Amino acid sequence: MELADRAVGFLLSFISLSIFTYYTFWVIILPFVDSDHFIHQYFLPQEYAILIPVFAGVVLLCFLCIFIGFVTLKSKKKKA
Amino acid sequence: MKHVVKILTLVVAITAFWIGLLQTSVVPCSHTWLLPIYFIVSLGCYGLLMVGIGLICFPTCPQEALLLQQDIKEAKEYLKRNKIDVGSD
Repeated sequence: MELADRAVGFLLSFISLSIFTYYTFWVIILPFVDSDHFIHQYFLPQEYAILIPVFAGVVLLCFLCIFIGFVTLKSKKKKA
Repeated sequence: MKHVVKILTLVVAITAFWIGLLQTSVVPCSHTWLLPIYFIVSLGCYGLLMVGIGLICFPTCPQEALLLQQDIKEAKEYLKRNKIDVGSD
């Protein structure tokens, strides 16, 4: 059904835009704001801006390797 | 010029710019990894955005779907007439 497709597409673009604006704000704009502005309480400390993407990338890589290994083993078992 | 050469020159230019900024201490050395990670995150976001937009603007062509179903029905009847097994009926 095309309505479900459209809803999924809209959800995906919304998620991507929100992640992009949050991250841009966090990395680029926040260092230039005074440290006692109220907006700082909505954002995690700056070290997490590097840790979270790196962690997510490592998790993604591990997931890919596990998936490839799993599929390879399954196909090998079926052939034998 | 090929597309990949353009992309590579852009990446090299941005890297040189960032290393220049690091060397002249405009950016402190604890922030070395800021720009590459920012670009990777924004590239991922851009890819996701393109997928979302493609899903939203996907054309379904209902008339073509109808014509396709008719073609399938004709093909099945023709093959059944010639005594070839068409599977599910």
